[in-house]
Amino acid sequence: MSPTEAIPLLIVVLLMISVGGGDVQQLSVTFQGETSVETLDDVHVVAGGTTTVPVDTAVSGDIYVIGGTARIDGAVDGDVTLLAGNLSIADGATVRGTVQTIAGDSSIAPGATVGRVSALEAPTPSNSPAQRIGAFLLQFLVLGGIGWWLVSRHPVLLENVGAAVADHALVSGVVGSLGAVTLLVLFVYMMFTLVLIPLAIAGLVAELLVVLYGQVVFGYLVGTHLPLERSSVATVAGIGVFLLALEVLGVVPYVGGIVQVVLAVVGFGAVLNTYFGLQRFEPVTIPGGGS
Amino acid sequence: MQFFTHVREHRWTTAFGYVLFVALMVAGYYYNITFVQLGLIDLGTRLVGMSETAVSVWMAALALCTLVVAVATGVTMDRRGWSSTLRTKLQLLFGVVCVQFVLTLVAPEIRSVPAFGAWIGVASIGLGVGFPVSFSLAIDLVPVPDRGYVAAAITAITYFMANAIPLSWSIDVFSRVMVAAMAPGVLVLAVLSFARIDRIDAVLSSLESQHRAFGTGRFCHDEPVRARSAAFVVPVILMFGVFFIDSLGFLRIIDTPSLLLSSWQSPALSTRVFIAIAHVVGAVMAGVIYTNYSLSRVFLWTFALFALSHVLYTSDLRLAAVFPSLAQGPTSPLNPAAYAVAVSFYTTLNFVLWPDLSTADTVGTHSAIGIGVAGWLATFTSTALALYFQAAELTLLSHLNVVQALSLLLLFGLAVGLYVRRMVELARYDGGSTV
Repeated sequence: MSPTEAIPLLIVVLLMISVGGGDVQQLSVTFQGETSVETLDDVHVVAGGTTTVPVDTAVSGDIYVIGGTARIDGAVDGDVTLLAGNLSIADGATVRGTVQTIAGDSSIAPGATVGRVSALEAPTPSNSPAQRIGAFLLQFLVLGGIGWWLVSRHPVLLENVGAAVADHALVSGVVGSLGAVTLLVLFVYMMFTLVLIPLAIAGLVAELLVVLYGQVVFGYLVGTHLPLERSSVATVAGIGVFLLALEVLGVVPYVGGIVQVVLAVVGFGAVLNTYFGLQRFEPVTIPGGGS
Repeated sequence: MQFFTHVREHRWTTAFGYVLFVALMVAGYYYNITFVQLGLIDLGTRLVGMSETAVSVWMAALALCTLVVAVATGVTMDRRGWSSTLRTKLQLLFGVVCVQFVLTLVAPEIRSVPAFGAWIGVASIGLGVGFPVSFSLAIDLVPVPDRGYVAAAITAITYFMANAIPLSWSIDVFSRVMVAAMAPGVLVLAVLSFARIDRIDAVLSSLESQHRAFGTGRFCHDEPVRARSAAFVVPVILMFGVFFIDSLGFLRIIDTPSLLLSSWQSPALSTRVFIAIAHVVGAVMAGVIYTNYSLSRVFLWTFALFALSHVLYTSDLRLAAVFPSLAQGPTSPLNPAAYAVAVSFYTTLNFVLWPDLSTADTVGTHSAIGIGVAGWLATFTSTALALYFQAAELTLLSHLNVVQALSLLLLFGLAVGLYVRRMVELARYDGGSTV
């Protein structure tokens, strides 16, 4: 696992530690090879290779697995959290705290002693049509409500962003991709400072809100092409059609995902270019030309 | 883009001008970033037997000599009116390509330091003449509104070829490939420059007259930009900063086998193609931004991208310093890809900026000063600083940390400068009367 690949999961570990209020003095990480643990720091992160707590060995501290394999054959006085990779707790082994599985493969032998077992069941919307429809309706209601309010009270905002999407899609896409990626990296690295974690989370939420604003604008644009007289009704209907189209695109492998990303970055860039619709985007005029 | 209009309306001569300019610039830049920048290191260290430091000193000398020759050539071009005479520029270019062809042919045979020095001296003359001549062709061949996209095309094609085509960084390989590629180019340039064929004369006359229809550069419309004015000096300083940052960082990166073998010299084709695509994406983005925004916005993005890529590099090194076992693992191609986007961004800007800051009467001098000071002088000074760092045994992290600090400083300085300029404009406009 390279540093770049390890960073996101290490950040998640740091977030979990800080959210849990843990007082961590020392943190160690193993990235490769066979490691047999006789003593533990406050937190040990398994990012690669195989780390084993041998039989007849008792260690104290928390273990996070973000890659590779962790084998517990002895006793751990603390929690074991699996974020990715493999975890096996053998017969006769003991974990006094909680064994929490968020993602990855875990196996706990029947003869193992574990304080508490917790597993995060990832939502599987594809397996539950009711959940998918519910989520879709919720998103439609929220965005439709925002669209209704904007087009009724501040139609210029949607007009300006819509014009940037329709007339300057390439520029919006370039600015959107540059801005979104740069800000994403910035927020991730802010998290590493720990002090700026709240700001980074706020920034990530803000990025998401900008993407949602872009979706409202796409809905507004679709609405202008619908045979409905009232602009507010047309906008809400357009948002519904747009969200439905996104859902359909999600079913198409590869191309569907790419189109979804392109729409997101174009919307993102259009929102940034127009200062959230406060100003119409006009590219600079380059004089000259002709032949 | 006007190019498609020209093609649609069958204005083939104008379309040929685009193709000719892109082909010449791609060939010249590919030669520069492969043969000159990478091949010479191999020639000096492996065949001549010099130390890397000695080769770096010679490379710095090459940069300095090229600057002097370029400025002399640019000024001469403008004073004698060669800048607005297409055939004269093509003849000069033919001479340059002939000199480079011979230099390329003999390079693998060089075995002594004096011969190496003589090679450097002649090469600097070729490069110094070649840069202002080739850049000034933009005024004849590319309409002003399309220059950003054309510059993007040159950057994208060059870097894609340089990264995706797996060439060993050795002078023998570069020499063989370049000689084979240059031979037909020499022939075409000879025909264009000297052949008295009615059809070719008509095409060249038509192309030569285009600069009057195209008009002056994008930033010269209100009034011509003078070489001593802030409108010219500030971009030169900013481009100097970009070149300096890139060169200072890249010199150390290519000197670190673990970073080099996992990116530009990776044995995996997929990694190199990934970096090549990143170059193309960066070039296209730069072309779009340049065409649709003010110049300051392009500079801001360039510095932001360099700052971002160095933050990625230094963060990895800091992480590896805390967890030493990380350094033994494979390296992600994400960092060189981010670096590639930044490099493509400013390379595109470099191709378009100097013609757009010029008129037909000043393009020689402005191109020479711009590329000479921003490009070659920055290379010279950054090489000197890199050598000092090497002598001081600076660690990789400390070295890249300096580069990161410089890029952040330039980003911050430019943002503050733009803000202050706007404040001054507002103060002058209001006369300080608004409360």
